[in-house]
Amino acid sequence: MTALHDLTIAEAAPLLKAKKLSPVELTASYLSRIEAFDGQLNAYIRVLPEQAMAAARKAEGEIMKGGYKGPLHGVPIGLKDIYNTKGIATTGHSALYKDHVPEEDATTTRLLAEAGTILLGKLSTWEFAIGGTSFDLPWPPAKNPWNLAHDPAGSSSGSGAAIAAGLAMGSMGTDTGGSIRGPAAWCGISGLKPTYGLVSRRGILPLSFSLDHGGPMCWTSEDCALMMEVLAQHDPLDPGSADVAKPDFAGSLQKDVKGLRIGVIRHFFESDAETDPEIKAGIEAALVTFRELGCEVVDVTLSPLSAYGDAATLISRSEAFAFHEETLKATPELYGELARQRIMMGAFVRACDYVNALRERGRLIAEIATVFESVDVLICPTMPGVAPKLGDLGNMMSRSRPSFTRVFNLTGSPALSVCSGFSAAGLPLNMQIVGRPFQDDLVLRVGSAFEKATAFRDLRPAPWVQQALAAE
Amino acid sequence: MSETISTEAFQVLLDRAGISVKPEHMDEMRSAYMLLQAMRERVRKPRGYDAEPAHIFAPAGR
Repeated sequence: MTALHDLTIAEAAPLLKAKKLSPVELTASYLSRIEAFDGQLNAYIRVLPEQAMAAARKAEGEIMKGGYKGPLHGVPIGLKDIYNTKGIATTGHSALYKDHVPEEDATTTRLLAEAGTILLGKLSTWEFAIGGTSFDLPWPPAKNPWNLAHDPAGSSSGSGAAIAAGLAMGSMGTDTGGSIRGPAAWCGISGLKPTYGLVSRRGILPLSFSLDHGGPMCWTSEDCALMMEVLAQHDPLDPGSADVAKPDFAGSLQKDVKGLRIGVIRHFFESDAETDPEIKAGIEAALVTFRELGCEVVDVTLSPLSAYGDAATLISRSEAFAFHEETLKATPELYGELARQRIMMGAFVRACDYVNALRERGRLIAEIATVFESVDVLICPTMPGVAPKLGDLGNMMSRSRPSFTRVFNLTGSPALSVCSGFSAAGLPLNMQIVGRPFQDDLVLRVGSAFEKATAFRDLRPAPWVQQALAAE
Repeated sequence: MSETISTEAFQVLLDRAGISVKPEHMDEMRSAYMLLQAMRERVRKPRGYDAEPAHIFAPAGR
């Protein structure tokens, strides 16, 4: 029998609904596992055992009385610690917000609670979702479950690590330049940056207002779709929230991908950015799989990667500095070094640079829309390499390798990272699947079809448990 | 465009912005500043009147 922590949401939901699996038993299993292993992984900043068990007992009572709410009822999850939680500290992994206890839940926190999820705890993040892998904060950085000496990426570092390690069934990340998809890539899971406006940002600590996205991170794309069924709601309290019909996530997963036209942004990883051969080989192998599934694969051309990166970086640094300027100047010592340095760069972006970046953004959005007239989804890598050693990430800005992910924060497109295999060293490879605005359901369908056509979801990062035990 | 900025010139920019950098991080910050400068230069390009700032995009089919 599959271990409880290896069940996907899609596998657990029918068992919970049929009363063959108890939310109390499931939650206790996760809490026990967190207690045993998270001391090595650092995925959690704050574990909420009493609250989680109370919620699990409540869910069990509801289900036993015939009040099953849906596929997330009784499912244990974690939230990146920039999602506001009423009465529970929401720290941004920063000394500055160490005692910040919100009076309200984020909209997404509330929606997930109303769907019957069990909140296990708050997850590690790069400080304020920007600071990088830092060792000068009140809590240590998360590690990569596939190899504890390696980086899980960020900023949703704990969200990615917890899913891969079986310390939560689903988690929430945020993504301003790749902070859901990067950890999904390096931790070998599925992570969706939804279309801008599809998931509420209300109650999430902002980094860059026009580039921030909240979204799910799970073992499979199918599980991400189940979370999106709950998360995709218009929120009048978020001025960026789109009042559009919710995509049919569940229905879309029932369809196949035969006949879809896939555009490969080959110049991104062949010439624009130095990309590891194993990542490129993973993409080529995935394209073979898609052809076997009946897709047509064509190459497409966009502006150079740097054009997207320039505009996105100028916008994100400006908006981040606008939010942090006052506290950064008043209490710089309460920020970690990396966050302080990265945010500070926004002080040097002039208003005209910001506006020109927004004008360039308009051109690039139009360019992507034109390309999508002839293809259904786009594919390129999520990250140009596999997870480096913990602490080996660049310091100030991504200098040598432009980002494959930031492109789609700029355009607002839905973008999914999935595992496309494993390197010779046993670290996850990655692939990014991108769709038209508000076709998040199609993106998840393509991701799920790939996962079901390959065996990469069968391999869990078991070795990290041995590493953790050996270190005890 | 110059490929470097002197410590003195960068210090002026820091003072004007009201922020400070530890001496041991000064070189790194100057280097990052030059990367940002290059980005600023690249987004400056001739554009028509209709090249307005983008904040939103139309949903598919609308």
